[in-house]
Amino acid sequence: MRIEIRDLRHTYPTGEEALKGVSFTIEGVTPVAVVGQNGSGKTTLVKHFNRILSPTSGAVLIDGVETTKQSTAKWSKRVGYVFQNPDDQLFLNSVRKEFEFGPERVGVPAADIQKRLPEIAELCGLGDKLDSHTFDLTATQKKFCAIGSVMMMDPDVIIFDEPTCGQDVEGSRRLSEIIGHLEKRGKLCVTISHDMKFVAANFPRVVALCHGRVLIDGDSREVFAKPELLKKSFVSPPPISRVSLGMGFEKPAFSVDELVETMKARRRKMA
Amino acid sequence: MSVDTVIEVKNLSFRYAGERKQALKDLSFTVGRGEFLCIIGPNGAGKSSLCNALVGLIPSYFSGAKKGGVSVLGQDTEGTSVANLASKIGLVFQNPFNQISYTTSTVEEELAYGLCNIGAPRDEMRRRVKEIAETIRVGGLLRKNPLELSGGQIQRVAIGSTLIMRPSILVLDECTTQLDPLGSEEVFDIVKRLNKDGITVVMVDHDMERVARCADRVLVMNDGQLLAIDTPRAIFNGIFQSHGVDMPEYARFGAAMSGAGMYGGPALLTEREAINAGKAAIAV
Ligand SMILES: Nc1ncnc2c1ncn2[C@@H]1O[C@H](COP(=O)(O)OP(=O)(O)O)[C@@H](O)[C@H]1O
Ligand SMILES: Nc1ncnc2c1ncn2[C@@H]1O[C@H](COP(=O)(O)OP(=O)(O)O)[C@@H](O)[C@H]1O
Ligand SMILES: [Mg+2]
Ligand SMILES: [Mg+2]
Repeated sequence: MRIEIRDLRHTYPTGEEALKGVSFTIEGVTPVAVVGQNGSGKTTLVKHFNRILSPTSGAVLIDGVETTKQSTAKWSKRVGYVFQNPDDQLFLNSVRKEFEFGPERVGVPAADIQKRLPEIAELCGLGDKLDSHTFDLTATQKKFCAIGSVMMMDPDVIIFDEPTCGQDVEGSRRLSEIIGHLEKRGKLCVTISHDMKFVAANFPRVVALCHGRVLIDGDSREVFAKPELLKKSFVSPPPISRVSLGMGFEKPAFSVDELVETMKARRRKMA
Repeated sequence: MSVDTVIEVKNLSFRYAGERKQALKDLSFTVGRGEFLCIIGPNGAGKSSLCNALVGLIPSYFSGAKKGGVSVLGQDTEGTSVANLASKIGLVFQNPFNQISYTTSTVEEELAYGLCNIGAPRDEMRRRVKEIAETIRVGGLLRKNPLELSGGQIQRVAIGSTLIMRPSILVLDECTTQLDPLGSEEVFDIVKRLNKDGITVVMVDHDMERVARCADRVLVMNDGQLLAIDTPRAIFNGIFQSHGVDMPEYARFGAAMSGAGMYGGPALLTEREAINAGKAAIAV
């Protein structure tokens, strides 16, 4: 999988220039996180990946093909986008119908749909909710219903727009599992998130946006080692990374256990 | 009830009409004047239901089987009108889109909506809208249609429309979920400031680091039950991960250092405390 973003600019009809020349390339299926403050252009950027939006100038190429060469309907088979607000996406009267709708519309054989459905429902924690009305789902379940219905399309790239907001341990764990599942199946997952604990735990690569431009792009360890620079995009490294940097370690720790191990090693060295 | 108790919950149970499961199971606790109480627990624990009960929406708006009761400033919420309660205790909903009235065409009108309903004089209304708009920093948005706002802006307006009734107790149900970390801190700073000015705050929050840093006491819920209510230091010394809520990373760090024989003090609650304890552990 290869997504190439070339000097991408996007100006909304209101005159708002949301992207001011963004360039980077994603190669392979290692999960990528996009971070940055509200309004920095994250949603605008990823909506170009399946041509929900078209560049004002510059280009996005998916495996070498410019997105503008094909319709959104065509792209959405390859690149699935899960909306920030699930209410923008869900509109049918049961979880099962939400799951069946997308693949049915693009002509996936009924047998294949029925094969995909139980596994995806299970992954999304909705195995026993298939016949519930989407109105009756909790906010977290709605989010997972939206995620599941995009996974049902079996796209090569899947984009999650702020999937963790207001979620608890259980929701984050489930989402990590889904991200792992997608990578194992050779799918690229690009996720917009404000939850840096979640980002550190799941994404080896982080792209930070600031006012419509890329502020930093790199290995998440390196990105989170630069709290001062990150501040510009109003992003703060996860709490345990900040503690390790505050203690004077050069590399940010990504978990409590990791930091304690580093400390043990330091103590052994000094003894 | 002591003079300094502003909320008293006594053996409160509630089952929504048509549901088999009890959403709230025999809860009892009190909240003191000026206190900052945080409610934590996994999704489905009953946090929102408890908020609904505190402000009297249970049972006046949600029907079901209720036992026990809630009194706010000495008044039983059952049998007190919601309008009457609104000047004592205000709720900011989990979903701000449930809060806005959908009947107004500008943010200004939206903020004034509650005052309008109680027939406040026009000058008074205008003055308070201006004041609140400043507090929640939406001054530039007053002429906008509420439906055109971003999630974060809507969340601020939702808080404003509650604050404008000048309740002495503010209940906030995961009110920063639509915001980025900065926006979330901004809203949170507003809440902290209000609390400093004497408003009692009851807040449902998933951000454990923030809860550890700011709460006077923490109430832990799971499966409709109250599992514990105590200071953050006492709560995060325990092992609440098993109840589906995270411990703050600082507290987990302290516990892990203790496990490795590097720390023996109380639960760590802030970044500063964690850095200091960590430095001390590697300085030996
Ligand atoms: N449909 C739209 N019309 C006009 N301006 C928009 C629209 N959507 C987003 N914007 C503006 O573009 C900028 C970037 O927005 P967005 O991509 O949604 O940021 P993010 O996802 O990082 O919060 C913001 O200033 C926002 O107000
Ligand atoms: N309006 C409602 N009608 C019926 N059941 C509800 C309603 N609101 C919540 N519940 C149920 O009550 C329980 C507690 O939910 P809730 O108070 O929303 O928990 P939390 O806010 O901790 O996620 C859940 O089992 C939920 O399904
Ligand atoms: Mg966005
Ligand atoms: Mg809730």
